[in-house]
Amino acid sequence: MVEDRLIGFKCKKCGAIAHSRRMVCSSCKGRDFEEYPLGDEGKVVTFTKLWAIPEGIEQLPLTLAIVEFDGNVRVTGQVLDEDIKTGDKVRPVWGNIRKIRGKEVQGFRFQRVS
Amino acid sequence: MTKFGRHDERSLIDLMTESSIRALEHAGATEKSVDAVYAASMLAGELNNQTAIASALVDQLALFPAAAERLENGPAAGASAIKNAYCGIACGMYDTVLVTGGEKMRHVRAETITDYVATMTNMEEEYVHGITLPSLAGMLARIYMERYGVTREDLSRVAVKNHLNGSKNPYAHIQQPISLEGIYGSPEAEVNNPVIAEPLRMYDCCPVTDGAASVLLCASEKAKEYTDTPISIAGIGHATDIMAVQDRKDPAVLEALRISAVQAFKMAKMTPQDMNLAELHDAFTILEIVESEDAGFFKKGTGHVALRDGVTSLGGKLPINMSGGLKARGHPVGATGVSQVVELVWQLRGEADKRQVKGARRAFSCNMGGFGNNVVSLVLERS
Amino acid sequence: MSEDVESILAVDWDIPWKEYPPKLVLLPSGERMVIREARREEVPKLLQAIRPLLTVEKDFYDIVAARLYGEVLGWYRHRARNEFVLVGIVDGKLAGISNNRAVDQKTHVSLHTIALKRGARAGAHMFAAKQENSMENLGAEEILVTAESPIGFRRLISQWCEPRPGVQHELGGAKTWVITRDIYKKVKPQQVFGSRPVPDDLLKRSATFEIAPLDWVPRK
Repeated sequence: MVEDRLIGFKCKKCGAIAHSRRMVCSSCKGRDFEEYPLGDEGKVVTFTKLWAIPEGIEQLPLTLAIVEFDGNVRVTGQVLDEDIKTGDKVRPVWGNIRKIRGKEVQGFRFQRVS
Repeated sequence: MTKFGRHDERSLIDLMTESSIRALEHAGATEKSVDAVYAASMLAGELNNQTAIASALVDQLALFPAAAERLENGPAAGASAIKNAYCGIACGMYDTVLVTGGEKMRHVRAETITDYVATMTNMEEEYVHGITLPSLAGMLARIYMERYGVTREDLSRVAVKNHLNGSKNPYAHIQQPISLEGIYGSPEAEVNNPVIAEPLRMYDCCPVTDGAASVLLCASEKAKEYTDTPISIAGIGHATDIMAVQDRKDPAVLEALRISAVQAFKMAKMTPQDMNLAELHDAFTILEIVESEDAGFFKKGTGHVALRDGVTSLGGKLPINMSGGLKARGHPVGATGVSQVVELVWQLRGEADKRQVKGARRAFSCNMGGFGNNVVSLVLERS
Repeated sequence: MSEDVESILAVDWDIPWKEYPPKLVLLPSGERMVIREARREEVPKLLQAIRPLLTVEKDFYDIVAARLYGEVLGWYRHRARNEFVLVGIVDGKLAGISNNRAVDQKTHVSLHTIALKRGARAGAHMFAAKQENSMENLGAEEILVTAESPIGFRRLISQWCEPRPGVQHELGGAKTWVITRDIYKKVKPQQVFGSRPVPDDLLKRSATFEIAPLDWVPRK
């Protein structure tokens, strides 16, 4: 199930891995991909606390981060911990991330691994 | 250009028409014909109910039957329009082209603008999580603080510098100088400069602005018909990078700027060190620092040192954003790239009054669409 | 006869009143704003300052101005109980006005805040000053707050208050939020600033104020 684990995509031609779902590989322009689980633990590369939150988001401030997984794969997402720091280890957690035009949208957020 | 700021009573097409007339008057071209009109606007359809803004502009200016098109490249629409105008002339199809960028955005709620601007990000990887441009700038600032020792004081200094420059620019949106103490360091700074996207605060972000700017381009051999001091576009560069910041090789490098700047300097047969001044795209203070490096002016990670040393202030070796930049001159999205060139033309002609860079002969500008993933760089020279 | 009716209708302070100690606040521009309590005889000038805003629809300035006008006039003509008005003065010019009134010793009502000098965070400082006056100078335990404009809500209420459901604010029965003693203590370090005492010469110069033309208000 999509909620179970964070999945990326690996290019079958050149082996490049990214979280982004693409039709054309950004490294070699290949068009064949296979799913690649990104693992349960990533490291925070950078983060911010956003006080000017967009519509459909309720947490104020909203903590956002870019998280790096094994193989230099980076994923952007919300962070559940208030006091996150660069270098913290986090794990992906499935849930409601925001509303878009009133409709609830689900996805992965990050929570610090104690 | 029109004054940038709040234009409640005027429509977008009014602003763009006024700006165009001013440019035509400045060039003594009000009676002459124009072969093409390029209009640059990011949100004319969405916010002003005016699609086909280029056709509307030709109509208002009575410039028919000139060819007319609108360019959309986010906040780089202005420079993109200038690039295309150059191409139209260089290929021999047109002799004279008017470029006008404009945006009217202040009549809309701040949240709505933030949302429209956020649609420039990667939908599935960034937008859906609540990513906005300020949040991307905040994350870039954090990397710079942790990797290169840039401080909040450095960021505030960019704002202070650009507000000072803006105060000398009668066209700037914000002409009020600010003090470093008022926005950083004093207890009152907590209220004066509230957090937007940590570590960025209110005075690290450019305002929402209404306004329009225009330039008239013509074939080099015809320039003397219009002016004794023609300014030539010596170099153009335009490059893109992968859209989602997470997917870039190094999220702290504006690769599209690097490539487009190299292209522009190569075409101009010049180097960054030949430049007397620059207009950079400081939608956020951190961007001025990063761009000053990735455009080739300073080594990576030392842009803030140059700032501290006064190199980028008036009187320094490479004054940046004498117009006030996006921070103080304002950022009517489609107009910005054109207004950067307007400022540089005035500077290179010695018409920049209190903010004049003495003896300015060569200048650089960069205009960013998206968050650094689509950049148009220009090199201008006084012939 | 008329004196008897006036003494029936007139209201003033029926709880202990202490003058707001003037303070100096640093603005982003580096300019300094003196915030002090207004004097009754300054009201005609305040009304003159507020008048041009009565027709400015943008950001709900018109309703804020209309209600503030009535409140300030009410205080002047002894038809408002326990109301205080603060003025912010920059370089001898009126920059902001804010007012509260006390229902009783314990409960104050936050009325209005208006910034005449825009882009200087004057409103935020004027709002903070009147809450400071109510809480610290006059000893309130809670302040009932509402907002008319989205900007007022976004910038001021969301940072200061928590909801007080089931209560109608005296400004048109609007939704009510509250600043309690505990909330004030928590918020104060991030919102309430200023230095005291105001230097003598500056205080003297700020004893009166001029009304600067509002260049941001469309002329009708």
